[in-house]
This record gives sequence, structure tokens and C-alpha cells, in this order.
Amino acid sequence: MTTAEAPGPPQVPVKGLGPGFWQVTAVLTVLSLINAWYFLFGNIDWLMPGSAHPVADRTYDIDGLFKFCAVFGNAIFIYVAGYVIYFAIIFRARSDDPPGAIGVQIHDAPKLEIWWTAIPTLLLVVLTVLTINVWYKIYFGTGAPALTTEVIGHQFYFEFRYPGMKASVFSKTEPMHLPVGVPVRILLTSADVLHQFWVPEIRLKLATVPGLVQSMNFTPIRTGTFDIACSEFCGPDHSVMQGKLIIEPVSDFQKWIVAENKAAAANAGKLDLSTGDAGIGKTDFAAKCASCHINPPAPFDQKLVGPGLLHITDDPAHPKLVDGKAPTPADIAEILQKGYTGPIGTMPNAAGNGLSSADISNLTAYLVSLK
Amino acid sequence: MHAGTATHDTHDASSHIHPPPEGFIAKYVFSLDHKVIGFQYFFTGVFILMIAGSFAELIRIQLVDPNGAIMSHSVYNSMFTMHGTAMVWLVLIPLVTGAIGNFVMPLQIGARDVAFPWLNMISFWIFPVAAVILFSSLLFGSPHAGWTEYPPVSLQDGTAGALWCMAIFVIGISSTMTGLNFMVTIIKMRAPGMTWTRMPLFVWATFATALMNMIATVALSAAVGALFLEHVFNVPFFDPSRGGSAVLFQHMFWFYSHPAVYIFILPAFGIISEVLPTFARKPIFGYKMIAFSSMAIAILGFTVWMHHMFPSGVAPWLQIPFMILTLAIGIPTGIKIFSWIATLWGGRIHYTTSMLYALGFLIAFTFGGITGVILASVPVDLHMHGTYFVVGHFHYVVAGGAVMGFFAAIPYWYPKATGRLMSEKLAKLGFWLFFIGLNGTFLPMHWLGMEGMPRRYASYAYFAKAFPDAVFWNRFETVFSFFMVASVGVMVFNLVWSLKHGKPAGINPWGARTLEWTISSPPPYYNFKHIPEVYDRPYNFDKPLPYGNLDNVVDVYPKFGEIVMPSPVPEPVGAGH
Repeated sequence: MTTAEAPGPPQVPVKGLGPGFWQVTAVLTVLSLINAWYFLFGNIDWLMPGSAHPVADRTYDIDGLFKFCAVFGNAIFIYVAGYVIYFAIIFRARSDDPPGAIGVQIHDAPKLEIWWTAIPTLLLVVLTVLTINVWYKIYFGTGAPALTTEVIGHQFYFEFRYPGMKASVFSKTEPMHLPVGVPVRILLTSADVLHQFWVPEIRLKLATVPGLVQSMNFTPIRTGTFDIACSEFCGPDHSVMQGKLIIEPVSDFQKWIVAENKAAAANAGKLDLSTGDAGIGKTDFAAKCASCHINPPAPFDQKLVGPGLLHITDDPAHPKLVDGKAPTPADIAEILQKGYTGPIGTMPNAAGNGLSSADISNLTAYLVSLK
Repeated sequence: MHAGTATHDTHDASSHIHPPPEGFIAKYVFSLDHKVIGFQYFFTGVFILMIAGSFAELIRIQLVDPNGAIMSHSVYNSMFTMHGTAMVWLVLIPLVTGAIGNFVMPLQIGARDVAFPWLNMISFWIFPVAAVILFSSLLFGSPHAGWTEYPPVSLQDGTAGALWCMAIFVIGISSTMTGLNFMVTIIKMRAPGMTWTRMPLFVWATFATALMNMIATVALSAAVGALFLEHVFNVPFFDPSRGGSAVLFQHMFWFYSHPAVYIFILPAFGIISEVLPTFARKPIFGYKMIAFSSMAIAILGFTVWMHHMFPSGVAPWLQIPFMILTLAIGIPTGIKIFSWIATLWGGRIHYTTSMLYALGFLIAFTFGGITGVILASVPVDLHMHGTYFVVGHFHYVVAGGAVMGFFAAIPYWYPKATGRLMSEKLAKLGFWLFFIGLNGTFLPMHWLGMEGMPRRYASYAYFAKAFPDAVFWNRFETVFSFFMVASVGVMVFNLVWSLKHGKPAGINPWGARTLEWTISSPPPYYNFKHIPEVYDRPYNFDKPLPYGNLDNVVDVYPKFGEIVMPSPVPEPVGAGH
């Protein structure tokens, strides 16, 4: 290294913080303020649907957090992008630079670095506090639910159930109903794979996980009809797994429940188990049950999706289906009618399996005949 | 080979340089030379980039029509699965660590090769095997469940799903071995005098990456290994109907796959940290902060995986610590961004293609980082999770960050690798096509996602009914995605064209100051005839090069645009002994 005494390359000095630095800073600040004004006072419905007229209590809270992020996040982006472009232009190498010109040789600026570490840290602390507040409301802030409903994900539809109200809605065609102004709890699980239950206007989203029951709590505050979308990949027809949610006045909701219960009762009334034909039931079983239950029926512990159904009325394992008692033909018919959710798994109701009253009596006769 | 404590005597190269490999196979196929292995990674990676990119274009064409324009749902699902899988494991990680890391890192630390050249060769050759296994799954119906392959739905993929697991397991072995190899190389083989705080920042980034590769990949191997056992031998780890846990896989998968994001972004950070000072003719601002923040990111990166799973079935209280850690990782990242901007301040900036990519990186990556902070806030994530907002976010980070970093590296080190400069005109055209295409494709995804468009949808007719604009924006994205295709096409053409027609590069066309710019272009197979000595950090442009014992006479104050022609490649010492 004998050349160390060679003259160093010329540095091009900078006056102040650079020509026009404060003007550029002022422009960026104005842009940030316009951004803040827009997110705080403008209509962002096109970004967050239903923001101006929240559909649920949590919509409002989550949008507040989003606005905080947008105000400060966009501001940081505006400054960063602005300074990158401004510095790139103003500090470009020029043709009249002395040959081999180099920039100002600075290595650090501890004070500046403390500021640009402290300010984002402070913003993140504020975001954390605001987030914990909203998070607490989401999970623990909705009082005792006045209505508990169940959502069960299937490939590729949502099933809605109203425990204690008999009505079990099948969403391939039927929408979910919720009353406005009533704290609701939705219990979610899945019959097969992962799905996600999401109503964009409500903001909350939760996975339906097989083998796990999760709950979502909120109070709808506006009526309307909304899309429910599955937002976790669940198989070939994931993209057509939607449902409808109708939020309606309490009186309409009660009317709907009454109508559903009546329809269910009327359906049940038509059922006459004495007319069941075990022969037809055997054909029905192969056609409509065999995709989940081993055919010909196998012992209880031989599971496909659902359990084996051989010896259903005298297999000691089977009473687990109905509260420890041996199932009667009426019990079997009821499960076929209403579906089943419990420790063994999940089975759709009669509408879901495409079973008519005649099918139910034939299948019951067939299963009882397997002694 | 060398230990870092070598004295002057051991710099006499004759006892350390072996004869050059002879014959085509030893030179180019089963080569032990880190540079040739880097090229092998490069060719294979860029080739798969084109395949995986064409899958992406099929995805975009499908979404021109809300009912799906060209494919069945099932084919579409397999396309986005293969696109994501190939891009993450067969393109990004091999390109930024395998190709750039292999070629550049040993040169920058003044070593003649990596610590374990055989291991390096095996690591490479595992990679095309994994690629063949992955693409062969297309013959068995292809995996469908996305690059994450969450069970239980992925269990419905059958043989193709098992092949997916095999491919990922195999490429994981390659990653782990490369990580180990690079760690040992950086710890043990730095040139004498190159202390930790004198290392080039790309080496720091490679070190942090190697650490993550070595530790995190094992969790991925466990996850896909268990999934493989479930596919093939029906062992119910993840199928809840038989007593498994669906959520368990996600924990194991993301324990790797979140660090994986940093595995390909950290080398890009390193590349940017080399390119910015070189073309701004300024020392990197806050060297230590940038180096230590790489390590902070590498360590914090292990503690944030659950932010991918907020709505997936985890205890609510557990969301809060993971959110705080996720926000915390924004702090070292912010420090890096601000330090890079400060590096620009007061510089004399030369607009080479690498510099344009670096500036584009600063803008695009900052945007992707900020949307990442938005997603970290649990309640906001409950809305955004699984939507196109997330797709937009990570493409800004990955395409705007890792890929643009990689594209900055190509014209920067191409002259060192080939001895010729790339055509700057074509390369700049490539940059503008890419930058415009990137923003046109991924920016509208953010508002589509917020409005309610879920990702992985082969058709979105119901959504287009509620938001008629969705059709316009999807077509808009498709048009702009072809800008990126054109950019890659221009780049590949440029790579080939410049081999023959590029201007001779000389030793140091950029006036850069790290060690690789003191040896001839392309470097001799042993890199350094004499192992150099290092007296200081490389980035002080006002001081003479801080190296001693150099092979070539180089300009002690390297200037941009002043080409120092290489001295004739020295005879391989020891060849005749």
C-alpha cells in the first residue's frame, strides 16, 4: 500500500440539507395531511365496504384501527418515497462534476438515528395499545349472547343451525338469518376440511376447523343482506362457496323461526315409519349414504367418514348417538331428519342429504332390519 | 484451507492452489467451484422462474372473466399451487442464496471457495432433483391446496400431494446444507484482518440468512415429512376425523415459512446495501445498524410465525404477543430503510440499472412493509386475512423486494462473472417494464381484498356482482402483469446477447470497493492467488482501498466508469508442481 498518499477523490459539498429540502418536506407534509384528512373524514366505503354505515358493532372498531394505520402508514410511505425520489434527483452525478467525484463522506448521525428509531417505535406502541383495546372488545366485549347459532363448514357450503329452535338451515339455497340489535354468538366448526366464515361488512373472520369449536361474538346494528364468503382454500369448488346473511328486525326473525319450526313439524308429521320398506332402504343406503358410511353396513368402529351402521339397535357402541340409550327406530329417523353434530362427527340433515320422508322411513326400516 | 489467522507466510499461494479441474464434467457439471455452482443455480433458477411465471400468467388470464376464462377450478387451483411452490422454493431461495450468495460471498470475504465444496456441489444437485419431483406431480393430478398445502384438504391430493411433500423435503436438505456451509465459510474463512465489523454488508446478510436456513428448515422438513407419512401410510397427524390436529401443521409450516420470507429478503437487503454506496459514491450510512438489524431480523423472524394464523384457531390471548413481536420486527427494518435513504443524501448518484432497481426496491419494499404492519394488527387482520390484500402485500415484498434485489444484483455482478457489461439500454428498459408492471399488477389487489375478494378463487362471479369494478381491476392487473413477463424476456435476452456483444468490463467497472472488484473478470478458478489482507470496511470512498497483498494492480481510489483492464489471468500456481 504505497499509494496511500495519492490525493483522494474530490467530494462534492452540500449546502444545508440540500437545495429545496424544506420545500420538498413541506409538500410531503401537505400530502400526508391530505391523506390523513381523507381517511378521517372522507368516505372510504369503496375500500372498506359498509364503513359509513357499520353493519356490526365491531365494524366500527376495526375501521378505526384501519384508519389509524392508513393515516400514519401512508404518511411514512409518502415521506420515504418522496425523499428517495428527491434525493435521487438532487444528488445525481452531473456531467460537470470533477472526475471521480464522490459524495459527502458521512458514516452515521446518532441523533438522527435515535429519532428515526424512536418515532416509529412510538407509533407501533400506540398501535399496539389501540389494537389490544379493539381485540379485547372482539373476544370479551360482547355481553352474554341472546342468541347462539352454529355454522358448520362443508365442502362446499355453510350449514347454519339454531340450537333449541329446531330450525336447521341448509345454506346451499337458504340464507342465514340474524336479528338486528341482539348480541349473537356464532359457534363455528367444520365437517370436513378448513374453511373460513367471513362477512366482509362485519369484518370478523374465523376459520371453521374440524375437531375444534370456535366462537365469534358481535351485535348486528344494521339490517340488510350480505355475502358470506369462504376465505380459506377448501378444495376444487372453494371459489363458489358462498352464502347469504340476512340481518332483519327481531320481529321478522321471530316470524322466520316460527315458520321454520312449523315447516319442520309438518315435515316430521308426514313421516310414517310403519310404511318403511327395508328392500328399498337397502338401495337408498347404497345411493345416498355409502359415500360416508361403509356399505354394506359394517360394525360401528369401522369408520369411513361416519361410523359403520351394522347392528345399529343392539351394538353397545351405538347408544352414544342418543344419550346412552339404545336407539329406537324413532331415534334413527330423527337423526336422519335433523342431522347430527357431536363427538362422532357431523352429518347433514335430511335436506342436505336429499332425503324425502319416504326415504327416511325406508332407510330406518333397512337399518333396523340389520340384526 | 485457510483459517482467518493466516500470517504473511501462508499467503504464498503455491501450497494451497490445486490444479484446475480438467474435462467438461469436472469443470461444468459436478464442479466444486463456488462460482460455477453459482451459475448452475442461476441457470436452473431462472429457467424455473420462467415456468412458474407462466403459471402466474395463466392465473391472471383466468381472472379476466369473473366466471373464469380458460381453466376448470381444479386446473386453476393446481396452477396457483405450483406457481407459489416453485417461486418460493425453486426460484427465490436458490437464486438469492444459491446463485448470488455462492458467487459473491466467497469473493467478498477473500476466500478461494466455500468451506465444504463437495457439500456445496451436492446441495446444488439436490435442487434439480427436487424440481423434477415437484413438476412430475403434474402427471399425477398436481397438488391443489396452495403453496401452504394445509391439511386436511391437501390430503385429498393423493399421490401428487405426496410428491409435493417429497420435493419440499428434498429441497429442504439442500437449504440446510447450504446454510451450514455458508455459516462455516463466513466464520472460518474470512481473509486475515476482515473482522466482523469489516465484512461487506452482503456477507452479513448472507450470514443471517444461513443461520435461518440452518435452523428453520428442519421444522419444515418435520412438517412435510409428517404430511408425507399421512399421505402414504395413513398416519393421522393432521386429519381431525382420525384424531389428528389440523392447526398443528400450520404451526410447523409457518415456523419455517415465516423465516423463509426473510431468507429471501435478507440477501436482497445485502445486495441493496452494496449497490447503494457504490453508485451514490458514499459510505453506507450506519454500517453497524444495518449489519446488526439483519441479525435482529433473523432472530425476531423466528418468533412471529403465528401472525399467519390469527383466524385459524389459536387462543385469543396468544395473538397479542405474536402481534407485538411482529410489530417489533418493523423497527430494525425501518432502521435499514432510513439508513439507505440517508446513504442517498449528499451522494453523487449514477443511474445504472442496478441503482434504478435499488431505488425501485426502496419504494416498493417500503410499501410492502407498511401493509405488513397493517396486517400485524390482529383485528385488521381478521378482515384482511385470506384476501387479495395479503396477495398484494406479499407480492410487494417478494417481487418488489426480493426479486428487485435479485434483478439489481444481475447487472451489478454480471461483468464480474462474465468479463462483459450487460447492455444498459436493454437492462433499463427491463427495469421500467418491471417496475410499472409490478405496481399495475399488485397495487389494485389491495383494494380488491379490502372490498372482500378472497384469494385462491378460480372465479369471482358473486363478488363481481357486488363490486362491478372488480372485473375492470382484474383485467387491469392482467394487462400489467405482462409488463413483468416482457421485463424477464428482455433480461434473459440481454444475458445472452451481452455474453458476446457486451463491452469488456475490466476489473472494476463500477468503481466498487469490495474485494471481488480487485481480481480479474471473470475471476480465475482459485479467485485469489494471494489471500488479501483487510484493514478497514470497504465503503470509505475518500480513502484508498483498505486491502493489502492484492493480486492485481488496481486503482486505489476506484472511479465510476473508469475501466481497469484485468492483468492477464495468472498461471495457476501449483499446476506444474
